[in-house]
Amino acid sequence: MTTIRIDSVSRWFGNVVAVNDVTMAIGPGVTGLLGPNGAGKSTLINMMAGFLSPSTGAVTLDGVRIWRNEQVYKQIGLVPEREAMYDFLTGREFVLANAELHGLGADAARKALATVEMEYAQNRRISTYSKGMRQRVKMASALVHEPDVLLLDEPFNGMDPRQRMHLMDLLRQMGAAGRTVLFSSHILEEVEQLAAHIEVIVAGRHAASGDFRKIRRLMTDRPHHYAVRSSDDRALASALIADPSTAGLELDRRDGILHIQAVDFARFTELLPRVARDHGIRLYEVSPSDESLESVFSYLVAA
Amino acid sequence: MLYHPTVARLTQRAILGRRRALILLLLPVLLIVIAIVVRALVGADDEVTADLLGGFALATMVPLIGVIAGTGAIGPEIDDSSIVYLLAKPVPRPTIILTKLTVAVGVTAAFSALPTLVAGFILGGNGSRLAVAYALAAAVASVAYAAFFLMLGTISRHAVVFGLVYALVWEALLGSLVDGVKTLSIQQWALAVGEKIGQGGHVVSDVALPVATVLLVVVTAGATWFAAQRLRSLTLAGEE
Amino acid sequence: MPTDAPATGSPGSTGNPGTTAATAATDVIHDIGYRHYDGPRLGRGYARRSLFTQSLRAAYGLGRSAKSKVPPALLFGIMCLVALILVAVAIGTGMDELPLEYTDYAIYLQPVIFLFIAAQAPVSVSRDLRFRTVPLYFSRPVERLDYVSAKYAAMASALFVLTATPLLILYVGALLAKLDFTDQTKGFAQGLVSAALLSLLFAGIGLAIAALTPRRGFGVAAVIAAFTVPFGAVSALQGIAWEQDNLGAIGWFALFSPIGLIDNVQSTFLGATPATASPEPVDPSTAAGTAALLVALALAAGCFLFLLRRYRKAGL
Repeated sequence: MTTIRIDSVSRWFGNVVAVNDVTMAIGPGVTGLLGPNGAGKSTLINMMAGFLSPSTGAVTLDGVRIWRNEQVYKQIGLVPEREAMYDFLTGREFVLANAELHGLGADAARKALATVEMEYAQNRRISTYSKGMRQRVKMASALVHEPDVLLLDEPFNGMDPRQRMHLMDLLRQMGAAGRTVLFSSHILEEVEQLAAHIEVIVAGRHAASGDFRKIRRLMTDRPHHYAVRSSDDRALASALIADPSTAGLELDRRDGILHIQAVDFARFTELLPRVARDHGIRLYEVSPSDESLESVFSYLVAA
Repeated sequence: MLYHPTVARLTQRAILGRRRALILLLLPVLLIVIAIVVRALVGADDEVTADLLGGFALATMVPLIGVIAGTGAIGPEIDDSSIVYLLAKPVPRPTIILTKLTVAVGVTAAFSALPTLVAGFILGGNGSRLAVAYALAAAVASVAYAAFFLMLGTISRHAVVFGLVYALVWEALLGSLVDGVKTLSIQQWALAVGEKIGQGGHVVSDVALPVATVLLVVVTAGATWFAAQRLRSLTLAGEE
Repeated sequence: MPTDAPATGSPGSTGNPGTTAATAATDVIHDIGYRHYDGPRLGRGYARRSLFTQSLRAAYGLGRSAKSKVPPALLFGIMCLVALILVAVAIGTGMDELPLEYTDYAIYLQPVIFLFIAAQAPVSVSRDLRFRTVPLYFSRPVERLDYVSAKYAAMASALFVLTATPLLILYVGALLAKLDFTDQTKGFAQGLVSAALLSLLFAGIGLAIAALTPRRGFGVAAVIAAFTVPFGAVSALQGIAWEQDNLGAIGWFALFSPIGLIDNVQSTFLGATPATASPEPVDPSTAAGTAALLVALALAAGCFLFLLRRYRKAGL
């Protein structure tokens, strides 16, 4: 069980506080680090990777400090955001060099290149690679020693949809195998599809953590939005508004959808089917329209 | 382990990448050409040899190559953050620095001390020990310069500029004007070593040999240690 | 330069949860006052002048960050300080001539001059190359010739300011010390001519080398090397020539170093004392002096043409 523990960590650069008293634990499985640009995600990842020291607090891997401790890299693989690599090397030479620096050989390099499907271009110089190919070679260099922890800083930048799907599959497999995978992103779709567990950072502060649907339910101060299609929208609407659990209704006549704002989630979920049955209204479709990560995120960011 | 072959290979390919190797080659070729021309025009003369080897080779060529090789061994990697691939590995930092230093010293000596020896033989024939003396001085200077500039490379992004200003302005120009500066000059320390070998009276240093030796060792060891410490605390500050 | 007015108003409507995403209406942009600019424009000459002024100011760090003002300010300060000290010495000790001739000044302070050009030439050209903004210039009514001549003229002017201001200080100080007017004016004029030639030549060399690389650090290093390596080689050779009693060769060797060229020209034509690397100054022959002048002018022209060629493909 390799867990990275971040304990009351703050980091400031002069007068700018990049990370503000963050405490979290990153355990096995795939975790998404989510936040707007400039929120401090890269700073956090650099601290977890041992390339930045916390101004206060401690960043540890299974209790061992990461900063100034090069032996910890046997368990950590890092895919940095910056594009610069040793451009004069070929892909194969680069991954091989990374393997050798871990004390491994050409076999490990070959396996890593096969995992990211870069064998076809391995004998070309990295300077001739496209952005997506570079990302994949970076992944290979991070996987070559089969680390328990994988840290990825904006890994899907510049990847086309097919490459992204492939990489997501790979990360999912690794998470399922018990490895600790952390990736940062500001693109919600990626995080939604991949991460079971998210950590949200806003302006350097830890805003939320967990499954994003559950986070949504925790936001009781915001009404839940539902989109309902039924056999008689108007009757349903008038029945629902009578109950205190609904705060607003909107009848969209062109699309035939009833938009409901529910302030009391638990009560509303019990109310809706009961009302429908009592009035003989058939419900065709009931879906939450703001339980997406996007709405959760925008609520968190705006707060 | 004090030396890591992979680090060495990467460093050597970085320093001697296409264009840079050509530039490095330019200076020794210039030296040899001048040596041939002078020998043809003037004949074998100790004074002339000392002038050329001391005034051009040791004073200008060795520090220049030392700067290019020393800062080039680590500077560009830190500058574009590709050094993260070296550092995110369980390789001790002193090992990385020592390996890079070895490569830098090797390149500097090969491109400066060796041509100095050749030029010395061309100029002075086999009789004089001047060629060997100056070549040895160049080799010793290579070590100290490489260590010093490698350290500069871990400190500042403008290491190349500072290094050149030190080597060419401080040592060459101020050194000939202000006496105190001479004691703090790697060139003079190297000349002290050469003076011991030269024995012909042409190789002259303003610094006594014991002092020079101590200072050379101190500067080399100190710079290397400092560079290793810098590397341990190297930070990548995140998004550009 | 054309002014861009931001487009006001947004066509169509998006994002309403209720509307269908179907193509309900045709897409159209309404005329709400955004107009194409048809008025008078200031033309190439203005662009060229602006580029010149901006480059000249940037060479001294004006109009840029505080950090970029330090090297030029420092170097300019040193140049002037030394002149002030010389003047003070002359006045204080009641000398009847300046301790240093006008034409010697640049030679003695050559490290400061070539540090200046090494620091500021890359500031002028390397940034445009590194960040690939050169095509932005050429997509305006600025031709290659304009860009290069503006940059060249700016750098040469900056160097002239650097080298002529201390001469001015010396001249004013000399007049205040009541030294002979005609002597001093003649010397001052000679110094100015020499400074002008030096500025022209050094600016060309500095810019040509700096334009070879988009990386500023390399540019600085290369320019420093380009000035010191020939100087070191030529000095060694001149020393050898002196010992071999081959005095004529001393003048000819000087042709291989930029500062040597200036030295030769001013020794031959401007009555200066040569500053060769020999124990006593050796006058170059008239042939060597004339050759130096021709080589200097040819080199400056060559650098200009090289820059023109360099920017033919730059940034693409």
